[in-house]
Amino acid sequence: MLKIILPTVMVLPTALLSPPKFLWTSTTTYSLLIATLSLQWLIPTYYPRKFLSNWTGIDQISSPLLVLSCWLLPLMIMASQNHLQQEPLSRKRVFISTLIAVQPFILLAFSTTELALFYIAFEATLIPTLILITRWGNQPERLSAGTYLLFYTLMSSLPLLITIMHLYVKIGTLHLPTLELTHPTLSTSWTSVLSGLALLTAFMVKAPLYGLHLWLPKAHVEAPIAGSMLLAALLLKLGGYGIMRVTLLMGPLSNLLHYPFLTLALWGALMTSSICLRQTDLKSLIAYSSVSHMGLVIAAGMIQTHWSFSGAMILMISHGLTSSMLFCLANTNYERTHSRILLLTRGLQPLLPLMATWWLLANLANMSLPPTTNLMAELTIMVTLFNWSALTIILTGTATLLTASYTLFMLLVTQRGQIPSHITSIQNSTTREHLLMTLHIIPMLLLILKPELISGTPL
Amino acid sequence: MNPHTTPVLAISLALGTTITISSNHWVLAWTGLEINTLAIIPLISKSHHPRAVEAATKYFLTQAAASALVLFSSITNAWATGQWDITQLNHPTSCLLLTAAIAIKLGLVPFHFWFPEVLQGSPLMTALLLSTLMKFPPLTLLLMTSKSLNPTLLTAMALASAALGGWMGLNQTQTRKILAFSSISHLGWIAIILVYNPKLALLTFYLYTIMTSAVFMALNKIKALNLSTILTSWTKTPMLNATLMLMLLSLAGLPPLTGFMPKWLIIQELIKQEMTPAAMAIAMLSLLSLFFYLRLAYHSTITLPPNSSNHMKQWYTSKPPSTPTAILASLSILLLPLSPMIHAIV
Amino acid sequence: MVNFAQVVRDHWVHILVPLGFVVGCYLDRMNDEKLSAFRNKSLLYRRPGENVWDCVCSMHLALFC
Repeated sequence: MLKIILPTVMVLPTALLSPPKFLWTSTTTYSLLIATLSLQWLIPTYYPRKFLSNWTGIDQISSPLLVLSCWLLPLMIMASQNHLQQEPLSRKRVFISTLIAVQPFILLAFSTTELALFYIAFEATLIPTLILITRWGNQPERLSAGTYLLFYTLMSSLPLLITIMHLYVKIGTLHLPTLELTHPTLSTSWTSVLSGLALLTAFMVKAPLYGLHLWLPKAHVEAPIAGSMLLAALLLKLGGYGIMRVTLLMGPLSNLLHYPFLTLALWGALMTSSICLRQTDLKSLIAYSSVSHMGLVIAAGMIQTHWSFSGAMILMISHGLTSSMLFCLANTNYERTHSRILLLTRGLQPLLPLMATWWLLANLANMSLPPTTNLMAELTIMVTLFNWSALTIILTGTATLLTASYTLFMLLVTQRGQIPSHITSIQNSTTREHLLMTLHIIPMLLLILKPELISGTPL
Repeated sequence: MNPHTTPVLAISLALGTTITISSNHWVLAWTGLEINTLAIIPLISKSHHPRAVEAATKYFLTQAAASALVLFSSITNAWATGQWDITQLNHPTSCLLLTAAIAIKLGLVPFHFWFPEVLQGSPLMTALLLSTLMKFPPLTLLLMTSKSLNPTLLTAMALASAALGGWMGLNQTQTRKILAFSSISHLGWIAIILVYNPKLALLTFYLYTIMTSAVFMALNKIKALNLSTILTSWTKTPMLNATLMLMLLSLAGLPPLTGFMPKWLIIQELIKQEMTPAAMAIAMLSLLSLFFYLRLAYHSTITLPPNSSNHMKQWYTSKPPSTPTAILASLSILLLPLSPMIHAIV
Repeated sequence: MVNFAQVVRDHWVHILVPLGFVVGCYLDRMNDEKLSAFRNKSLLYRRPGENVWDCVCSMHLALFC
């Protein structure tokens, strides 16, 4: 564990001190090397946890998420190169180090076996994200976006802290493997219901559940590209991961509690998909599609069967890669036309033909076309939900249909049709951008061949 | 001011504090409090501005009243029990009187009205003294008598302080007033745990002292008395401004920073004492003060325009911030990983 | 021979990440040895001379070779 965390921490001084000529290359190279090293976490094992130490341990749920977060750091650095071009050197350094500073906390949050440390790492990602959004966003509305992010998260996570401390006082340990053995820890008295609610709500806000999601589109719209990638690919996954961890502790209580959450999650998947259909802002559209996909993850996390967990895991990983790639694509358009409005950035296929290929691939993955892992995930989740209650097929089926239609809408509007008259010439797409898309698409394609790496079930 | 006065005042401050925190007898403790009060008044009214004089007057009146109450409560106790020992404050009336007196001295709600105005009238470094060193002697008195104080009263005052400190800081634009309200809400955190775990209250006070001193010294360095000055001060000391943001978020108690440690330990202790609703309330009330810390943080670095702006800039000074500021800043940001050790030492 | 001191001065930062990796590996190995020593205290589960994760690595080799 430390052999990845310590080099990740050391990338920080490297970014701050490296010679100006090698700033981008050295940080990208080192983070890519670390990502390669992190692949060792995917080695299957018959132990419940591998790489166990006193405070960390990786099981099949956390290892794909850990590898995903290591993988996304070089991609985030690569994606921000263009919009930082005009900045002075010191600000570039500070930006890169803010990006890198989130990484150890995310790694800790995914790998820790101690609930209190998990809480601290979960919250610690907040300050760098806040800085990314409010310092490096482009519009004045970024301030309110940052405030929304901070207050939504803290309002929901302070009850979580209190419940964690309450569990600690009651049980005497917060070590997750031990807690899993002592269940059921919560009875069905009303205080326990409140505790269960507090345990879940923090992650529901982070995931985000429909109704608690308003901070997310704001944050996505205002954040710079790296911030969007970070939010969509990693921070939302913290929420999903937290749900899968704490539902294990709740025992019989979840039979009572999962109705409101399941209802909201499925209804939210439907609602946000329909919101996507009438969205005019490209980044906001992708953000709402994240909410809809994470709704499925939340529903699967609440069902708590083996199938649902592996569906949720596969969906989290593939959605992490897909939505991050979509944000990158949206950003390439934004950097050329300086607008996120769909109406103003139509018909780019004749101008950027190779980019249109990436758009096509990313959108096909987003609407979960057959061979992709997204499809495996959605099918698994729909099957588990159907097994739980046959009526959910109406909601999930409609949501899938709507997902396909808004993704198609996004693809058609941005790529096909007439070029608007105000776009006369446009910058060519660079090798860096193609590399960025390639590095997103390669794991997606390779995971089709071996989905059990990310499916969360032991070998 | 005469060059000889400053050392005299400094020595008197140290003397008064030492007398109070080391005394075992009520009269001696009262003497120390009085020496402290008299020594800080010239420092408050150093600049001959009407606001400074007003602040000094307000400070003197409240402190004299509070000291009289301390004396009165100890005399009542001595009358009833026949001894002057500080730790043996057994008479219920004198306990209540003492709580009120110390609440006036510290600026706990509902006796907090003097505090923001005195801070607003005094220079930044004196304001730092007022919100850290001058709270130490009364706090030690509370710690020594903590066994006989009324927990319900203290909890109510603590919750009210956290609420009002957060609430009233929301519409302030003056940094000293904001820090005064932040001090009031932090005192709420100290007061709520005082009866149950006096050591933890002391630890909270130490950490609060470190964090608030760092913030005051940073503000003193950039000479920022209100929010708009902070906004244009990034050209002077960019690094200090970036750390100022982290120090403010640490004061707000966000997790990877030092300020989270007292909150965490206090919440745990309160839950251990079966006071989960109070813990919940004070944790949620801390969000109110987070709002104004966040606004200060926005003004310090986060809202910098992406490129240079067209308002009047202040010049970059080559003189770096002093070493104490640097040490205090790093302490106020980085102490959380060391919390088990610190908790064991205190 | 270019100016060696200049190269060192320019590029010394690049040693930091490998250094972090080496230190991390060392600390991880210390931890594994501690865990193995703890496991070997038990008469039932002891596997003298074998590290905690050795079986994982051997299994990995068996899978991929």
